[in-house]
Amino acid sequence: MSKKIFFVEDDEGFYNIFSVPLKMKGYDVVRISEGGSVAERVIVEKPDLILLDIVLPDMSGLDVLKELRDREETQSVVVIMLTNFGSDENISKAMEYGANDYLMKYNIVPSELPDKIALFLGESQNFNVKVTES
Amino acid sequence: MEKTTLLNTLVILESIVLLVISYILFFKLKDLSRLKKIQEEFNNLKSSKNSARNDFLPILVHELRSPLSVIRGAADLLIKSTDELSVAQIQTLLNQIKSSSSTLLTMVGSILDVSKMENGKFEINKTYGDINSVLKEECSYFDPLTKIKKLSIQCTVDENIPNFSFDTERIKQVLSNLISNAIKFSPEGSVITICSRKVGSDCRVEVSDLGVGIPENEKASLFQKFFQASNQDGVQKGTGLGLYISKGIVEAHGGSIWFENNIPQGSKFCFSIPIKS
Repeated sequence: MSKKIFFVEDDEGFYNIFSVPLKMKGYDVVRISEGGSVAERVIVEKPDLILLDIVLPDMSGLDVLKELRDREETQSVVVIMLTNFGSDENISKAMEYGANDYLMKYNIVPSELPDKIALFLGESQNFNVKVTES
Repeated sequence: MEKTTLLNTLVILESIVLLVISYILFFKLKDLSRLKKIQEEFNNLKSSKNSARNDFLPILVHELRSPLSVIRGAADLLIKSTDELSVAQIQTLLNQIKSSSSTLLTMVGSILDVSKMENGKFEINKTYGDINSVLKEECSYFDPLTKIKKLSIQCTVDENIPNFSFDTERIKQVLSNLISNAIKFSPEGSVITICSRKVGSDCRVEVSDLGVGIPENEKASLFQKFFQASNQDGVQKGTGLGLYISKGIVEAHGGSIWFENNIPQGSKFCFSIPIKS
């Protein structure tokens, strides 16, 4: 069975480009465009990983993260922040609330995303190791 | 005796001179303290402007960075994974590049408009036309978008408004800003009303919604650059330039723009431009 990823993102553009390589890797990508329903859906649908934006229309992604960590049923789910807001305050808050990683959308290209999250899904990364023979 | 009189006169004269000098100094000092006060006020204004600019910068950078990241990401996928992508995926990515580029162009246009307005170089190109047609056109344009949020849009025009000179594209820009704000703030299932009226020798246009309205203490700042209402929960924040630019456009037509509370609830944005041929 393919692994399920919740992609919490209100911007259709970002969802369209970042979901393509994940789907190509065979993941079941579910888009959620508001933060309010995330915790309840995690309980029911049990995703393997959540990609979470900070700027959401109904609440901050940081508050979504806090809610996930505060609730017993959702506290162990893997959450990776995927945002364009890279202020120190946001990063330290995300880490304080228990984010597993913090990725900046403008620092990576979509094709790199599967490798960035592979470890958290218990999969090996596709390292491109160059062996130079002397 | 004469010597005493002379001395007394000198003392009196000296006292008068001292009095005049003290009087002058007193007023000079008063001027100085006034100058100091003006300087302080100027510094406060400068720092509040700087702080507005500083608060705005991260939002502006984020707003610019988002479409840029999408364009770069889509282009990267198209270059690296062309063989693995389906036709539908390629189509989606190309459409995304197109729409993100349009967003970026609009934003850059807004920043340029603000810059021109602040340097007194903003110009409008008036042509003779029918403002009611412009209103109807904008309503039709937004109609499908309102359906997504289960809203309805009502457009009522006053047929007594004659054709007159205005900048069609710029008035469309104002309407587009006001209507998209109304869509943003309207609760699902509500109605947005757009109407035109002839008031004296002016054409008045009103855009009303049934949203949360504007907090009383923020009404005065509505048309200021970078303004963001504090009650925007659930609404994606913009650059805060739309209303500022709309004001500039309406004023360039010799008109005015203002806010009224909508009855029974929500916001009503009105602008009025003179009917001139």
